[in-house]
Amino acid sequence: MLWAMIKKEFLLVSRDKHALLALFVMPAIFILVMSVALKEQFNQDAISFHIEIKDEDKTKESAKFIKKLFASSSFSLDEESAELRITIPKSYYDLSRKNQNLDIVVLGSLKGGLLEVFKAKLLKVVMDFKLDQMSKKIKKTDFQASKAMKKMSLEYVDLYNISYENKEYIPSSTQQSVPSWIVFGMFFVIIPMSTIFINERKQNTLQRLTTMNVSIFKMTLAKIVPYLVINHIQVWIMLGVGVFIVPFFDTPALEVTGSFMAIEVLSFGLSLSAIGLSVLIAVSATSAEQATTIGGISNILLGAIGGVMVPKFIMPESMQTLANISPMSWGLDGFLDIFMKSADISMVAYNASLLALFGLVALSISMIILKIRISRGL
Amino acid sequence: MLKVTELTKSYGDVTALNALSLTVQEGSVFGLLGVNGAGKTTLLSILNGLIGIDSGKIELFGLDIIKDRKEINSISSIIPQHLAFYENLSVKENINFFASLQNASKSAISNAIEINSLEGLYKQKASTLSGGQKRRLNIAIGLLNNPKIIYFDEPTVGIDPKSRNEILDSIASYKELGITVVYTSHYMNEIERICDEVAIIDKGELIKQAKLDDLLSNRSSDKILIETIFNTKLSSLGLKLLDAATIESSQKELTQLLTLLENNQIFIKQIRYGSSNLEKYFLEVTA
Repeated sequence: MLWAMIKKEFLLVSRDKHALLALFVMPAIFILVMSVALKEQFNQDAISFHIEIKDEDKTKESAKFIKKLFASSSFSLDEESAELRITIPKSYYDLSRKNQNLDIVVLGSLKGGLLEVFKAKLLKVVMDFKLDQMSKKIKKTDFQASKAMKKMSLEYVDLYNISYENKEYIPSSTQQSVPSWIVFGMFFVIIPMSTIFINERKQNTLQRLTTMNVSIFKMTLAKIVPYLVINHIQVWIMLGVGVFIVPFFDTPALEVTGSFMAIEVLSFGLSLSAIGLSVLIAVSATSAEQATTIGGISNILLGAIGGVMVPKFIMPESMQTLANISPMSWGLDGFLDIFMKSADISMVAYNASLLALFGLVALSISMIILKIRISRGL
Repeated sequence: MLKVTELTKSYGDVTALNALSLTVQEGSVFGLLGVNGAGKTTLLSILNGLIGIDSGKIELFGLDIIKDRKEINSISSIIPQHLAFYENLSVKENINFFASLQNASKSAISNAIEINSLEGLYKQKASTLSGGQKRRLNIAIGLLNNPKIIYFDEPTVGIDPKSRNEILDSIASYKELGITVVYTSHYMNEIERICDEVAIIDKGELIKQAKLDDLLSNRSSDKILIETIFNTKLSSLGLKLLDAATIESSQKELTQLLTLLENNQIFIKQIRYGSSNLEKYFLEVTA
């Protein structure tokens, strides 16, 4: 009996083209678009600025400085679409003169902290160049000091040892996008589920099933199993997109360093949570339109709160606390742990349990509502 | 075989069924009549175990409808008014799905398909069937468990006359298979056509239960109803017509009337005593 119910559900979902689009194509496209679009926001080392140079000094030194500037991958000469213009004043390299500043004009609009990034990158080149100059100046008088100065490196890797503790990891755009849209896509099971469920209820098919000795529990279980499988397929397809497709767009591939079993366990909890919420909305709504609207809105809200739309690490602390009420956040954190901290089952067990518990509570409430609705002929 | 005794069911302050009692004989086609809100749907829901009862007792083939619910479900079936199947599945997939739920035998499956003339539609997607074909599929699903009793909840709503005729003919044939039928409909002519016995309920109470013939025949009445095979001449003869083919007359005028019809080659389908048809009777008792 149960197998027949499960098979029926599979057949119905497989023939719902809109649902398949929402479940598989939508998250895959989101992963690609967001990974590519945000790759520079998540990796400031890769940021490059288009600049225009006005050399008023016109000396050997200024030519060297310009050469050094463009040797760095952070800057490229582009007079047509320059974002910034750097003017090198006369006698800029005369160390005996004071307050000789580079004149910088922002030509376009530099969003957010990009000007700060530009300043930091330029400072490195300027300081590097000035150290080199000073080293040459003192070479004759103090050879040892000159040698030491020449050895000085202003590369970040030589200056700082940066390490992350616990949740302070900053993901790459792919590491952020893949789990975000996996989680988001999984909750979209609301679309096929509510359409099928509400049609069954409206056309009295559920009542007919009841008269065929199909219990509410079996009806619900028959809904859970197919969507667990569908969610499972979603997870692995989206991981595949992150690992194999995203690199084709000049964006870092997803690196899965954690345990595959951890992915399985977390996906199961997340799927149960998504199915529970979907069934709850489907049994509570009075029409398929209402269910898909409520489902869509709640998914977007849970996604926005839970760090899917905006990464949690850039949220203010109060928002990060609020994010913890969203099951999407529990799933997202679990996936980030797997991708970035090589998490095993024990590390995701808490989040997976929380998600499963949420799903089971939602399913229990759904069964009660469904029983009431069937008995009232609704 | 189906015995409802003092059945009461309320929804809050509203009494849907009030000490209702009726009996349906095995193998009969039983019509259940009532205006909207009379309690028909509540009664059908209770009989099918969808809702509980406040008080009373219902027995079906000696089984208690509350205690022996599972057993009763296996020998009874409801044909809902709505098309309770999956439009995105084919006829075959629908039949196989519902058959699997009930462990239906191969003979029951082929029987359900044959009675409802679904052989040629087996591979067709249910959503592409005509209204009448969908109704037949809806009925076929209800036959898969070889039921001893079938409840029909207005099964001919919104379909063309040809399909309606086919469905009514098939329901009438269940009698030969020994299946008891409880039939609700707003179409009185359907009840008149297929039912042996009728119960009229109003405001949750039984108003009348009787054999259809007894209900329609009022031999003490002088009035006679003559149903003819439709002929356009009829309307030009100056007779009192109840509809395009039915004449209302009196016993005194009968001989004269029969001669008139014979002379005009108008053929008689049925002559019935009584001043009313079922619709008239129904309107009188539920007024």
